[in-house]
Amino acid sequence: MSKPLGRRGLVLVAAGAIALLAVVETATALVAPALAPTDADWTAAATAVRARFRPGDLIVAAPAWADPILRQHLGDLIPAEVAARMDDDRFGRVWEVSQRGARAAAAADGTVASDDRFGRLRVRLVERAAETVTYDFAAHLAEARVSRRDRGGAEVACTPSGDRVSCPSAGSVILRRQIVEVDQKLRAAALTEPFPNAALVIEFPAVALGRSLVIATGLHDTWMRKAARGTVEARLTVGNQATTLPVTDDDSGWTRTRVDTEAQAGQTVAVRLEITSVNPFDRLFAFAAEARR
Amino acid sequence: MRRLGPRAIDRLITATLALGAVIWLLSVEGRQGIGRDEAQYFRAGERYWGWFSELGDNLAAGHPGRSFTASDIDRYWSDNAPDHPVIMKVLYGMSWRAFHTCTCLGPARGLHPVPIRARHTTLPLFARDSTAFRFPAILFAALLVGLVYRFARGWLSRGPSIVAAVLTLAQPHFFFHAQIACFDAPIVTMAFAVGFAYWKSLRDPRWGIATGGLFGLALGVKHNAWLIPFFLVGHYLWMRRGDLWARRLPRIPLAFVAMLALGPLIFFAHWPWLWVAPVARARAYVLRHLEHEHYNFEYLGFNFNQPPTTAKMKWIRATAPFVETGLTVPVTTLALAAIGAVMLARRRRGAPVDPDRAEPEGPVAENSRDRPSWLRPGADVDRAPGAFVLCQTLGPLAVLAMPSTPIFGGVKHFLAAMPYLALLAGIGLGAIARGVREALPEARARLRPAAPIALAVLVCLPALVETRRSHPDGLGHYNLLAGGFAGGASLGMNRQFWGYSVLPMLPDLDRRVPENRRLFWHDVLSDAISMYKRDGRLSMGVGDTGFGEEGIKRSELGIFFYEKHWAKYEAWLWETYGTTKPIDVRTREGVPMVTLYQRGIR
Repeated sequence: MSKPLGRRGLVLVAAGAIALLAVVETATALVAPALAPTDADWTAAATAVRARFRPGDLIVAAPAWADPILRQHLGDLIPAEVAARMDDDRFGRVWEVSQRGARAAAAADGTVASDDRFGRLRVRLVERAAETVTYDFAAHLAEARVSRRDRGGAEVACTPSGDRVSCPSAGSVILRRQIVEVDQKLRAAALTEPFPNAALVIEFPAVALGRSLVIATGLHDTWMRKAARGTVEARLTVGNQATTLPVTDDDSGWTRTRVDTEAQAGQTVAVRLEITSVNPFDRLFAFAAEARR
Repeated sequence: MRRLGPRAIDRLITATLALGAVIWLLSVEGRQGIGRDEAQYFRAGERYWGWFSELGDNLAAGHPGRSFTASDIDRYWSDNAPDHPVIMKVLYGMSWRAFHTCTCLGPARGLHPVPIRARHTTLPLFARDSTAFRFPAILFAALLVGLVYRFARGWLSRGPSIVAAVLTLAQPHFFFHAQIACFDAPIVTMAFAVGFAYWKSLRDPRWGIATGGLFGLALGVKHNAWLIPFFLVGHYLWMRRGDLWARRLPRIPLAFVAMLALGPLIFFAHWPWLWVAPVARARAYVLRHLEHEHYNFEYLGFNFNQPPTTAKMKWIRATAPFVETGLTVPVTTLALAAIGAVMLARRRRGAPVDPDRAEPEGPVAENSRDRPSWLRPGADVDRAPGAFVLCQTLGPLAVLAMPSTPIFGGVKHFLAAMPYLALLAGIGLGAIARGVREALPEARARLRPAAPIALAVLVCLPALVETRRSHPDGLGHYNLLAGGFAGGASLGMNRQFWGYSVLPMLPDLDRRVPENRRLFWHDVLSDAISMYKRDGRLSMGVGDTGFGEEGIKRSELGIFFYEKHWAKYEAWLWETYGTTKPIDVRTREGVPMVTLYQRGIR
């Protein structure tokens, strides 16, 4: 049977533990700077990706905070629409440039087609099932018919005016395609504002449907989210099928909703998005949507 | 040769520690960039100096009253008002005036906030204007190091006291603030000085008066001083809990009376801006801070810019000061502090903090001179050192744990706790060193003096190495538990604020002619750009296209600081410049701090 530690033993254990901690902490502090990937690592990794890159591939950094360095080396292969993508589901090949054992969500599923190390960096090519986009709503924003429907149900057509749409006797609201900031992340989206006491109706007259329609919504701009607390409600009507989207508020982030359009796949239908808000002050409503098969 | 007495040795050690702090800070401050707040304090400090300069002229002309008219006071003193009182800014301005190397009639002449009429006669200690401004802050940090040693000596032997002093400065986040011309480190010095004086006042009435005077000065340094009385009252009530249990009110000590009397007096006397409309302007100052905006701050992946509204976020937000302390202070320091806290908690009433120090903490009132009274309210009771350190350490953290309190400054908002944390570490080290000494068998008796010294050096090493490693990006540095810069970034902790971290990129920016004539500086204030030019780090031709989206549209080159809330600025850069590809990324250990974009570069 082991003898219990006396006070003397405890003190020596504590002193030893503190000394060991001090040594480990000092050594780690001295060594850690050398554990970061070097420029040469990044250059080598970028060369490897570039050699086998195909248009439509997605390149991601893990951890995500390394993304600016990734873009410094491969930014010409990561246009703004990809860097600020709605989600990762339409990419069949994902290049993951990782460090420190991190993993990117975009490369979590699929088959690893290649896995190489370049100094402190690891480059994996992950191939996976991807969805094909049949209609990108933000890209077709110019084709949308916009109207304002008051509480009585009366609807008046609005006309585009630069980055805004003007509605008779109701002023104008923003409606444009831009890179928005939702939850401090960038997204290529359509941006608009709800009307006070009326619904903003955006109708895309001819949408080629696939098996599903994915729509993501959120409130743009940190400062606007700070300035106001109003919520935004939205209803999506695909042909005759209506879906109430989750309420968008300051904390809801970038919320994706998937609408099953299997029954209408292959058809071209009108899709309406109706946006309302009881308190629309400083609400910059962003949405991106894609029909996919 | 005459041997030094114990007091002389302590004075020598105090001076050596303080001098060491000055040398360390001065040797590295030049690598530290200028944040938005510091740039404003440079400007305000120089402008306040302008008032003194004009006062000298008016005195010489026999019209000193002209300097005291409302319009003249406001012309100088309304800068950075009602934001902050002026003791430090005045010192910064005076230090600049006294110690800069004057090239004031050169190309940067127009960048001064007050007109330069002639070459300044100075004692040119510093090559850069910014160093001359920062010098008083550095002296305050050195003063703190000395004060911690002196305070610790009341409880501990020399070795642990020296360690406490070293560990006070050797904390990456405190070190960051200790070298810049702001108020966060100076108010720590003043809060500690007030606490020190209060502690001594418990048994010496002379220190009661001094407590009041120091509190007044603290009020003139930063509004954090408002909190000092609460922490002291907390300790006082605990120390005199016997009165409360006996259902009698404790005596109101001289220190509190002096704080009440001298504090406001010194505060009003020191700030000319208040003289014009004392009540209205004091009210504006108080409200400025009671209603302070919640600036953006990243913590555990969340961007806080207003009080949280949900229970979950309130809980997360409440952990901020504790988690930030746990992830920023060197781990060895934290471990020693934990041991020190245990030692204080286990101390028997009346026993000394360190048995090696013969001075007991218990009642000393045995003769008429030491009789308890409001002048010596700690004479008849144990002074409760544990409660004192607890109030001083947890007090600032607890205030910042309240969800309604803004946390945009991160650790700087509760830095006042850090010297006491270092003191606890000193107590912990003292206990371990004593135990090791006693535990060594007779056969190894010759190691008894050496072992504590070796241990003391060893426990200072990680703090010193981590602090050196962190510089000049102390705000982005996290400790062993977090995993350094990269670990902090992965945890979603704040990396930086207010645009200071661009400094290492300045030589490159300066070379990029002609694109740098139209440069978007993002979060770098124009006052900081002016100071970089006055310091000779930037050519006069480097431009500034202004703030926001319009500033980006006018620019050819643009920098971008990585903080969560700035994300939309990067979108504007992508859209305006037509690229997502930075031409340069400034990193620390692989973690991006600042990027540089150029229009049209794909």
